[in-house]
Amino acid sequence: MEGPSGDITVTSSNRKCSAVTGSGRRIKDGAADWHNLRARWEKLNDDGFVIAGNIVNLRLSSHREQQVHTPPAGGAAELQEECCKLHDIVHKMVAIVMKMERLMASQRGILDLEEFQFGPEGRKVPLFHSWTTKQFEDSSRVLLDAFRRELQLKQTILQELGHTVTSDLCMVYLSCWLHQPFTPPQTRLTLEALLLETGHRPL
Amino acid sequence: MTLKLLSVVPSDRGSQRCRLGPGLMSALGLSLGSPLLVSVPGGSCLCTAWPRPDLAEGFLQMDLKCSSPTLISHPPTHLNLDPDQLTPTPCPKLKGVKITVVVQSVEFKKNTPMRLVHELVKDMLKGVYVQKKHVINLEDIDTEIRYVVVESISPDSSSAGLINSKTGVEITGIQTVRHYRNQLQDQHTVVLGGLEEVSASLREMLQLPLLYPGTLSSLGVSCPRGVLLVGPPGVGKTLLVRRVVGDVGASLVVVKGPEVVGSRPGESEEMLRGVFERARTAAEEGPCVLFLDELDSLCPRRTGSSAPENRLVAQLLTLMDGMNQSDRFLIVGATNRPDSLDPALRRPGRFDREVIIGAPTLQQRRAILSVLCERMPVCPSVDMAELAQRTIGYVGADLSALCREAAMHSIRENSKGSGEQAVGVKHFHEALKSVRPSCLRGSLGRTDLSLVSWEQIGGLDEIKLKLKQSIEWPMMYPEAFVRLGLCRPRGVLLYGPPGCAKTTLVRAAATSSHCAFLSVSGADLYSPFVGHSEKALAQLFRQARACSPCILFLDEIDSLIGSRSNSQTPNSVQTRLLSVLLNEMDGVGLKTVEGRGTEKILEGADHNHTQEQLDFQEVCNKDVMVVAATNRPDCLDSALLRPGRLDHIIYVPPPDKQARLAILKLCTESMPVEPDVCLEELASKSDLYSGADLENLCKEAALLALQEENMEASAIKHTYFLRSLNKMSPSLTAQQIQKYHTSPR
Amino acid sequence: MSKAALLSLQQALRKSFQTLECNQKVWKSVLSECSPLMDSLANLAEQWKALSNIQIANTPLKDFPDLEEKLRFKLLLATDTVLGKLNEKMSALQSVRDAISNQVYAVIQLYEQNADSLDLLSVTERSATAPSIADMLEWLQDAERYYRQQFLKKKTLLQTVRADNLSLLESTPEKWKSLESPSADNHITDTLCKVSFFMESQ
Repeated sequence: MEGPSGDITVTSSNRKCSAVTGSGRRIKDGAADWHNLRARWEKLNDDGFVIAGNIVNLRLSSHREQQVHTPPAGGAAELQEECCKLHDIVHKMVAIVMKMERLMASQRGILDLEEFQFGPEGRKVPLFHSWTTKQFEDSSRVLLDAFRRELQLKQTILQELGHTVTSDLCMVYLSCWLHQPFTPPQTRLTLEALLLETGHRPL
Repeated sequence: MTLKLLSVVPSDRGSQRCRLGPGLMSALGLSLGSPLLVSVPGGSCLCTAWPRPDLAEGFLQMDLKCSSPTLISHPPTHLNLDPDQLTPTPCPKLKGVKITVVVQSVEFKKNTPMRLVHELVKDMLKGVYVQKKHVINLEDIDTEIRYVVVESISPDSSSAGLINSKTGVEITGIQTVRHYRNQLQDQHTVVLGGLEEVSASLREMLQLPLLYPGTLSSLGVSCPRGVLLVGPPGVGKTLLVRRVVGDVGASLVVVKGPEVVGSRPGESEEMLRGVFERARTAAEEGPCVLFLDELDSLCPRRTGSSAPENRLVAQLLTLMDGMNQSDRFLIVGATNRPDSLDPALRRPGRFDREVIIGAPTLQQRRAILSVLCERMPVCPSVDMAELAQRTIGYVGADLSALCREAAMHSIRENSKGSGEQAVGVKHFHEALKSVRPSCLRGSLGRTDLSLVSWEQIGGLDEIKLKLKQSIEWPMMYPEAFVRLGLCRPRGVLLYGPPGCAKTTLVRAAATSSHCAFLSVSGADLYSPFVGHSEKALAQLFRQARACSPCILFLDEIDSLIGSRSNSQTPNSVQTRLLSVLLNEMDGVGLKTVEGRGTEKILEGADHNHTQEQLDFQEVCNKDVMVVAATNRPDCLDSALLRPGRLDHIIYVPPPDKQARLAILKLCTESMPVEPDVCLEELASKSDLYSGADLENLCKEAALLALQEENMEASAIKHTYFLRSLNKMSPSLTAQQIQKYHTSPR
Repeated sequence: MSKAALLSLQQALRKSFQTLECNQKVWKSVLSECSPLMDSLANLAEQWKALSNIQIANTPLKDFPDLEEKLRFKLLLATDTVLGKLNEKMSALQSVRDAISNQVYAVIQLYEQNADSLDLLSVTERSATAPSIADMLEWLQDAERYYRQQFLKKKTLLQTVRADNLSLLESTPEKWKSLESPSADNHITDTLCKVSFFMESQ
């Protein structure tokens, strides 16, 4: 998941140097955006995991206290605070997925344009190495779907985490948060392929 | 100089070192770490020589890393060794070894790839000196791999060698520890006596499907899965299974009935499933037998209510049905109460075959006795055949108890003085008194211990002869009966006035013919519950047959069994008992589970004479002789008296003058009587006196003497006899005796 | 008895103890790197257990029908990663073991070659500063056996653990911890102390 995330920063200088224009330019920028969005997502995910862990600990310990009939010792406020933090993080994730959706829309737009320009088969010569425009659109869709579902899962976890008292279920929530089951290694490979194709990574 | 063997220092465990004094090392020409073969009783151990840290001589400590298989289970302790037992052994580097790996659990064996086992074992064996056929103990490494058995080494010019990193290790097989230990145990076997036939048939049953499954399947026959062993307790069912399983080389999973029964609901079923699973995994390594001992306690007959046993029975049935042909294990059940098993278990497909082991016959008892006495110093005068004859109804366990008891008697005697260590005839006879056959234990019929000889009964010579004819002769001289085509009488009825020695006569007959003696009276059989009396009588017959030849004595048979013609209630207990008795005497109620041994056919007498006679006795004396006694023969049902049932009817008359004289002589034998006592006179004056009366008379006379002469009486005078005769009156009347003169039949 | 043989043997023994000393440090450091990996293995086992204890359909997560399968896949991936890293550590341990083994075998071989010229008296002779040759050979053998067995135990443990067997996975970190025997390790340190004068006396 960490991977070589920091080593390509798509800066404006980088952009200037490249000679591609038009659809190619848009697709290349899109790929870079995908990469950056994913990196930000991972960062948020890591932060969120720490907070979620705190929440579970607070929740379980306060639950244990309730069972031995001692008044809850100020844990509620703390819990509330942590939940808010987690809420913020999920909120930021929502923003990221919205940006991803926008990216997807622009990919779709490029595909439409190509179809308009070159007919239903699309362009004859590939934009970069071998991929057709359709393939870019497909891989974007794969990525978007994965993150969308992941976001749904995160939202569910956000809602339930503060109310769960069974330790097993808490553990499953945490495990879901950490391992992100809906972004299989396949997504990572798709993104890497995208970066490779668009020339962000040396062949 | 001897070496004292001490246990190994913990830090040396797994090092294959043998610690000894440096002086001894120099004497043997050993340098540090030189290989050395130490021979101890039961095996040997290959070690490397190291000086003791304190350099002391006279001690030996060795790590049993590489030793004979027997030393694994029985490590040598408290031994003094001779330096001759240490042999320096040259150990060249080996090119290759062939080994069998013994692992702890079946899971490890199943789940671990061969490559990994090979890799681990090779690492473990590096730097180890090995000897052919020895076992390398790897327990100190504490992994799943416990032992390595060295099958062969190459080059095989020497018997031992060193494994280094260049030695090729070839694994010929992987076994579990359980399996391996089973194999080790099988090497010392128990000897069975008198079970050859049964064990041969059982062995065949185990061997065929287990060792040649292909043959059976090519014939399209499904292998039998279950064998039920039926027999009274103590005949050696458990021993037999263990022995046969050991012979066939199968592994054995034993379940004692009560062990699997748990208190929680469902626990027992779970344990039973676990047992089957264990057998299944064991069967993957080789043939396996699942032995359910005391099956009747595990699977009693299902009753209507939802008892927990019902579920257990159902579980066993399901498990037995669920066995595939691929599960290569057999189920052997053993029980002494086959009737209380659930009938569903006994159908083919579950316990297909039933092997019946009854109480041993004469020949079998002789075989058992000779096996038991093999290890004992027995006097040559002890005749096994005679002993076998006298131990009717004894099962294997009884016989072994008998031998033990005899040996104990001999030890007790020897401790008193005489040095000879041998078990003689008298010891066996002593033991016979205290060890009774277990099949007669808890029986209704009392077995009488007091022995009565014919001579102890005065007079009645004619009656004695008749009794000998009908009881003693068929047992002692069966060949004569067979020669003349005579059948043994089924039963004898003695009738006559009370007190005329009917019971004593029967006892004497039993004593002289050395057969088991069961006697029963009405009170024994009566029970307030309907049907109990009949069951008890049938049970009595079954027991009697188990220890045949046997005399079953029904005293006061008139009180026991009435007549159908003159009983008020047509369906009373007496009439029902009568029908049971009639059935049993005709042999209708014979159960199939009682006999042992095949029917022998008499032909070709090529043995010596005594052997032949034993054979005859074994073949002919299979029945139970019913002897009944009554003083009211008119009350008996006529069906009971017809030939074929109680076919000899003997009248025991009140003693005539001659007989009375004989009785008086017997009674006064132990009394000091004055010479003037005239027994003839007494005999002639005591008409209508029964034997019991006469005995009483003598007692009275003696008491009178004491009374008159104040305890100082030394002899009884004639007058005392006469005075007591005058005081007494006979218990019999002429009218009474007249009644007996009409034959009851 | 040859003086030269004794000297060369002593020299080889010194070298062996040096090898032992530095490899003991390497061994310890590799082991300390293993413990966080074992922690994460324990953590993963806990996650496996929680997942199998939960019926996803009865929880708020029921909207994600394929969640369990996917999460299992991810957990498997993570477990494999940890086990892979542990195996890398194992090869580091193996090289430590091999270094010690080779050194010890070499010394013993050297002794065996010269065994005829070294009588038992001289090899069992102790002095105030140096243990006897027999003692030192014995200690080296003991140390070699200790590392060999430790390595074998750890290797067997890691090779038999599999991500799909939960109970095995759960027990592995504990078993790993139980394999460590501080007393045996201290014993080696003691040995090194005992030979310290001998080492300096060259």
